[in-house]
Amino acid sequence: MLALTRKVGERIVIGDNIVVTVISVKGDNIRLAIDAPREIKIYRGEIFDAIASENKQAAVPHDLLELDMLKGLKLKK
Amino acid sequence: MKIESTRFGELEVEEEQFVKFPHGIPGFPDEKTFVYIPHDAESPFSFLQSSTEANLSFLLVDPFAFINDYEFVLEDEMAAKLDLSLENPPQVFLIATVLDKMVDMTVNLLAPIVMNGINRTARQVILDNPEYSIRHKLFPNGLPKEAVKGGR
Repeated sequence: MLALTRKVGERIVIGDNIVVTVISVKGDNIRLAIDAPREIKIYRGEIFDAIASENKQAAVPHDLLELDMLKGLKLKK
Repeated sequence: MKIESTRFGELEVEEEQFVKFPHGIPGFPDEKTFVYIPHDAESPFSFLQSSTEANLSFLLVDPFAFINDYEFVLEDEMAAKLDLSLENPPQVFLIATVLDKMVDMTVNLLAPIVMNGINRTARQVILDNPEYSIRHKLFPNGLPKEAVKGGR
């Protein structure tokens, strides 16, 4: 892993087309601007982690006998 | 083709039942092929069973059967990647989590599964909507009465 020290206004260039700029630092909060092609998906790390973790919870096999009782549910009006 | 499933036992699966997830699913990046299994013709529920991992299956929910105002904008790039268009709109599912009882079921509103039903390619899309919960309770007022009576 590469660790870099940057000042406000300085940039990090990743590959040919991703640029990360440090916009401001206020206490613990660091504001970054990320310029990347639209097909590059960018997520806050904790949101991606939360979804991965929820998927793992969802994948736990459980007893779904009751599901049959719900199969006739229709759109709520 | 035969698939082993902890939930369903041995499944004989036709080619057209497979759904490709070229990017895997968050938490399961290497799982790229699932089998789509409807629960019942009229049911808002369905399943995704991993084609390689017998223990791995997801319960899916049709969001529009339960949440009338569920909506999101699919970015053009994502729509293009999945080869979706107005003529070929996506099928949308939510992954459900059942920790103990059915009544406690939650669905992930923030990360719907968007599927191209024609070429059978799908992706779990992460939305940028702080109002959508990862653990939205599907039955906040208990199971619907018609279900408790036994459905149909």
